Amino acid sequence: MGAMVVNVTWQVVSRYVFHNPSSFTDELARYMLIWLGLLGAAYVAGQEQHLAIDILPRQLSGPRGYGLKIILHGLVLVFAAVVMVIGGGNLVYITYILEQKSAALRLPLAWVYLVVPISGLVVILYQGIFINRDYQKMKSVKHGMD
Amino acid sequence: MEWISILILVLTFLSFLAMGLPVAWGLGLASFGTMLITVPMLPAATTIAQRIATGLDSFSLLAIPFFVLAGEIMNRGGIARRLIELAKAIAGRLPGSLLYVNVLAAMLFGAIAGSAAAAVSAIGGILGKPMEEEGYPKGLSAAVNITASTNGLIIPPSNILIVYSLASGGVSIVALFVAGYLPGLLVSLLLILTAGFFIKKHQLPAGAPSSWRLLMNKTWRALPSLMLLFIVIGGIVGGVFTATEASAIAVVYTLVLAFIYQELKRGELSKVLLKASATTAVVMLLVATSMSMSWVMSSEDIPQSISRALLGVSENKYVVLILINLLLLGVGIFMDITPAVLIFTPIFLPVVTALGIHPVHFGTIMILNLCIGLCTPPVGSVLFLGVQVADLSIQEVVRPLLPFFVAMIVALVLVTLIPGLSLWLPLTFGL
Repeated sequence: MGAMVVNVTWQVVSRYVFHNPSSFTDELARYMLIWLGLLGAAYVAGQEQHLAIDILPRQLSGPRGYGLKIILHGLVLVFAAVVMVIGGGNLVYITYILEQKSAALRLPLAWVYLVVPISGLVVILYQGIFINRDYQKMKSVKHGMD
Repeated sequence: MEWISILILVLTFLSFLAMGLPVAWGLGLASFGTMLITVPMLPAATTIAQRIATGLDSFSLLAIPFFVLAGEIMNRGGIARRLIELAKAIAGRLPGSLLYVNVLAAMLFGAIAGSAAAAVSAIGGILGKPMEEEGYPKGLSAAVNITASTNGLIIPPSNILIVYSLASGGVSIVALFVAGYLPGLLVSLLLILTAGFFIKKHQLPAGAPSSWRLLMNKTWRALPSLMLLFIVIGGIVGGVFTATEASAIAVVYTLVLAFIYQELKRGELSKVLLKASATTAVVMLLVATSMSMSWVMSSEDIPQSISRALLGVSENKYVVLILINLLLLGVGIFMDITPAVLIFTPIFLPVVTALGIHPVHFGTIMILNLCIGLCTPPVGSVLFLGVQVADLSIQEVVRPLLPFFVAMIVALVLVTLIPGLSLWLPLTFGL
């Protein structure tokens, strides 16, 4: 993120101080945003901080509450696995085969899209941890009630 | 076929939301599920993955992380404290002056920062204690702080207006920014009038006396912070730089100020960066997956079907605007402002533009409307922060909040019915 600030500031400085607008900063900044956004999203998923309407999960207590949480983590896991890892991986593969390159930097687009399957894998890892955690809690709550 | 897709999209999305799935993942899963009706799995997954990546490929979107970062740095104290000092000097000996100070400071803070979250915790954190000591009812103070802070989303610079510009397919950010000033002033004015009523009722104490010299002194001390207003908005309106470039300059400027005021230690910088990145990422995932949803919707002609249905109810623009406002108020109760703007802008904007309503005017209406939802339980991020910083429970602020909701709804009605409130300034500047 610090690098992004430097980059865009450089864009303004180069235009006004050197009267020589640099063309690559715009593209570089946009690609950095895609990486920051998606990797950050995976990190936030690991903190369980994504915006949700959590009325139902808060109302349900005991084993049923943990059961619901496991289903929710499972849904996110399915999305990350099918769309982000398989779909994203396929996207990287296609752009790699077709050798698509970006306009200004001549950067292979496959490198830009690579962040989709990578963050998908991170999300899967976190959801796996959460499912295991909530399953253990559900079991212990059940035992406690018996 | 079309109606089956709509039904599946809406039903799956709503049931995911009700279960408590984060909105961003719900958007992605529902659009993927809807695509599966007509498209095989691998191409559908690949398309959604591509929409997610390209949805973030926008230079104007970059302004959001930068404004978030600048706000996070301002939140460290120095800047907010100086703005509050200035507001105190302006309010002077008025009875109940600290309530006015809160509204004024929130307005000034909103004019240099882009989010309500920064204002509600920064100002509430500084003013909370003195207000309690001087005998202000805690619920009343929190209610004023919460509603006044949402003003930062209407007064430019504002992250949510950038999101609206993106969701609307490119309404000018500059015009939206400039359009926010008068409605923002109106909201502040109505909140001050409402607060005035309670000041009489509770016989609240007067503030410290002020003088011209004090006012000048405080203005001078707040000047470096207020300069940001001229640099950012002046720079954008004057065409010196784009909104994104202005936001990067704002980061550099606030960083320099924070170091001069010695509010930010070197070691804290990485913490601030991480927090800003996380806040940004929440918005970015929403943008990414809602881009995939709006792509699925438009490939199934869903917005057109909904606008036909809405226009079937009435062709009168005021009836339609009232209907949309009521719908959005309902949405705002359950949904945060960012997903609501991303989901409903592509649906409602074609309807209202067909009736001759300016996209900038509609943007102001929509943001003002959803700001009310930010202060209502069960889902209201500003409300949560406001009660947290005031150390109250949600139940304790709901009653004091009610009259301020009325004030905000009056502002919403005025902004909806009088297009000039939002359009006069941008038109004057030729935007």
